[in-house]
Amino acid sequence: MKKILFYLILIVIWALVYKVGVEVLGIWKPYTFPSPLSVFKTLVGLISDNTLGIAILASMKRIIVGYLISILIGVVIGLTIVRYKYLDENFSALILGLQTLPSICWLPFAILWYGLNESAIIFVIAVGSTFAISISIESGIKNVNPLYIRAARTMGASGIKIYRNVIIPAALPNVISGLKQGWSFAWRALMAGEMLSATKGLGQVLMVGRDLADISQVMAVMIVIIVLGLTVDKLIFGRVEANIRHKWGLNRS
Amino acid sequence: MSLIVENVSKRFITKHKKTHTLEKINLEIKPGEFVCLLGPSGCGKSTLLNIIAGLENCTEGRVTLNDKEIKGAGPDRAVMFQESALFPWLRVIDNVEFGMKIAGVPKEIRREKALKYLKMVHLTKFQNSFIHELSGGMKQRVALARALTLDSEVLLMDEPFAALDSQTKNILQMELQQIWWETKKTIIFVTHNVEEAVLLADRVIVMSANPGRVKKEFKIQLSRPRKLENVDLVYVISDVMKTLKEEVEKVAKAEYDSDWNIEKDIILSDSDSDMGIGI
Repeated sequence: MKKILFYLILIVIWALVYKVGVEVLGIWKPYTFPSPLSVFKTLVGLISDNTLGIAILASMKRIIVGYLISILIGVVIGLTIVRYKYLDENFSALILGLQTLPSICWLPFAILWYGLNESAIIFVIAVGSTFAISISIESGIKNVNPLYIRAARTMGASGIKIYRNVIIPAALPNVISGLKQGWSFAWRALMAGEMLSATKGLGQVLMVGRDLADISQVMAVMIVIIVLGLTVDKLIFGRVEANIRHKWGLNRS
Repeated sequence: MSLIVENVSKRFITKHKKTHTLEKINLEIKPGEFVCLLGPSGCGKSTLLNIIAGLENCTEGRVTLNDKEIKGAGPDRAVMFQESALFPWLRVIDNVEFGMKIAGVPKEIRREKALKYLKMVHLTKFQNSFIHELSGGMKQRVALARALTLDSEVLLMDEPFAALDSQTKNILQMELQQIWWETKKTIIFVTHNVEEAVLLADRVIVMSANPGRVKKEFKIQLSRPRKLENVDLVYVISDVMKTLKEEVEKVAKAEYDSDWNIEKDIILSDSDSDMGIGI
């Protein structure tokens, strides 16, 4: 309730700024500063002619495929690094470097490999989040309290049983935050990729808004992107994280 | 049928020097015996316990349990650590069941047995709590229950009560005495606390540091159940204390400046030397 009120106030302020800035003083042109009402109208229009539905579907399909691929590869890389000391010593720095490389930098590479199509965007998404995930797997496992492993050994656990019953659950909080970070990287990569090279999807609708000099459409799509990102974050990662924090007692700071 | 430690030595080789943590330790522990390893910090008592547990290897010698040489950790030697080492992602009852789960005990049997031991440590009310909801003493109770479910002949305890406040510690010591009496387990208990050692043990083994050796053994022939306030207990404590103090002083001398002396600060002299001022 309080939150709804907060956003209402925000919208009222926006409307007031529009009134004063565009209509009364004329500081901004109407095509550089949209009113809340026109954004809302555009949003309804985009929903009713199904542009938005198709775009969201296309984007979601890409990100889910790309994200799943990155989880798969990220977990494999993470586990391999933990397992082999040689790789850990030499490969870790490279992975860290690759992670700091903004994933959109891979787009030219991807286009040369795959051409201007779905695969290129999915590649960019996967590359964007793979390294964050593998780093979190690696650090998650390395930071497992050795006491847990010792205790499990004295109770007769060894090898794969230690992995399944101790190391994986103990590393989970770290891994979840890595997955969350990976998701946000994937989301960024998706938008960047779509804006530059897609024929459908949210990023492309955003670019169409620019091409038509329709600031309302630009704002409307941006709002949709924010809402979608927030929804996934709260509904999926938020819940899992809250559950783990509750179990481990991390809420009491 | 007993636990035998034969000629066990442990050396660490670092860049600059070789350190003898343990040198030629020989011990024979009878079934059902309660033995305390007592010594100043750095005397290798925890290392010895870890070797018996199979968590560390010794450089020389061997440890046998019932004529079988110990190689690696195993459920025939349950271990309790100073920190409870309970798993925060599991509820209390699942923590207690952990060892049985690893051993492949079916669910119902394991639940029943876990409850039996939780009852023994008086924590059935908290079976569905998470670990962070328990106090330090409660955590050690759960850890004890978890160790007991392994049905091991030997229970190894590495300063299990050292991090607890003294009241909680006292209660747990009395209960451990009781549980040992009921379960007839062989217990090896590492501590640096003389009172605790004399209160609990049949035999106190005082260890010396640099290198870690058995300095002296005390057989504690006092009737049970023992209580800390018993006069005969106090007498034995002071006896053991004398031996331990030499060791503590030796270790301290090696660490502090050469002008340090354990006796020096016993009389606190007042700087204005007016001793009768409050009379």
